[in-house]
Amino acid sequence: MSLAARMVLVLTTVGLLSGTFLMTVGLLTKDRIALNKKLEIERAIMTVVPGSSSSRLLYEEKDLTVYGGMDAMGSTVGYAVYASGVGFQDKISLVVGIDKDLTKIHNLAVLEQKETPGLGAKITDKASFLIYWEGRDFTQPLRLRKPPVDSSARLASSEVNTITGATISSQAVVDIVNSARDKVKKLAEAGKLVTGEENAR
Amino acid sequence: MPDRTARQDFLKGLSSENPIFRQMLGMCPTLAVTNAVINGIAMGLATSFVLIFSSLVISSIKRLIPNQVRIASYIVIIASFVTIADRVLAGFFPAISKALGPFVPLIVVNCIILGRAEAFASKNKVGRSVIDAVGMSLGFFLALLLLSSIRELLGSGTLLGHPVLGEWFEPWVIMLLPPGAFITLGLLMAISIQLEKRQKGG
Repeated sequence: MSLAARMVLVLTTVGLLSGTFLMTVGLLTKDRIALNKKLEIERAIMTVVPGSSSSRLLYEEKDLTVYGGMDAMGSTVGYAVYASGVGFQDKISLVVGIDKDLTKIHNLAVLEQKETPGLGAKITDKASFLIYWEGRDFTQPLRLRKPPVDSSARLASSEVNTITGATISSQAVVDIVNSARDKVKKLAEAGKLVTGEENAR
Repeated sequence: MPDRTARQDFLKGLSSENPIFRQMLGMCPTLAVTNAVINGIAMGLATSFVLIFSSLVISSIKRLIPNQVRIASYIVIIASFVTIADRVLAGFFPAISKALGPFVPLIVVNCIILGRAEAFASKNKVGRSVIDAVGMSLGFFLALLLLSSIRELLGSGTLLGHPVLGEWFEPWVIMLLPPGAFITLGLLMAISIQLEKRQKGG
């Protein structure tokens, strides 16, 4: 066999074998990976919408998904909005929990981020960032409080604390929530955020 | 004396040919992911998996691969193991997979793996290649562990997420950022060279 033919043969065989092998691994892990992602979102919904024990998908578009959080009786206790946007380094995905009347933010959870460790990555940290989101006013756009203050009580109802040294990451989260807010308000006005329970009535 | 060579094959990865402190290979993951101990451990394990299995496969089929396409074949084999590691981490350890982010796929271009394939596995028997890979992996793993422990301790005051230093400690944020990685690595390298010199001068 000529050298050229051998080269082609060997590379093709190596490629085919690897491909087959990877296909098998891909098939074996695909469901688990999808399940992990689903579980992660579900767990986040439960934490950001207090009192909810199940959720239902209400609306979906690129970078925005709205879930309704239900209590054990099946009545809506709030909404969870999964939204993504551009951060300092890469995409940030978060879930924001809103009360039933769309007036107040319950809680916020950041699911995906690649911000600077020790600075921007603090957007996932409860004590230095997320705690200032609890109970914020959802009727008007949110603003950053800069320089930050040491307690939630000193913030205005639509203000959240900036992370020192990570204004861009903090602002990115505010922007994502504000743009999600605009879209959710429009959806609510258009009557698209109805849960099955209300439909049945 | 086959026993002695086996031990040498194994030990050189830990000391005289340590991939980080001696060969200075695979610097990108070393510097990038060592801001927390758990990331260092996970990266060390994932790289070890890829290194050991690709050395095993490459040394077993080295005779079948024509010289001209060897690098291409090695890359395909290495990339396959990296993809397996990536998928398994994503499927079974989602938290770690998230923390390591893009660095798992980047193991493909980690010079340690291609370097060992080219310098050792493609020239030696399967057994020796595996021993060499295990030694190198352990050397890489321990270096990452050391580096990430120092950086997490000084940068966040914690180890594996548990607070170690008390409230009085003001974390050095720089240790978590790239400069902290370079400074720590440079100092560790200087210490290791000094230690070796003293040993030789003994």
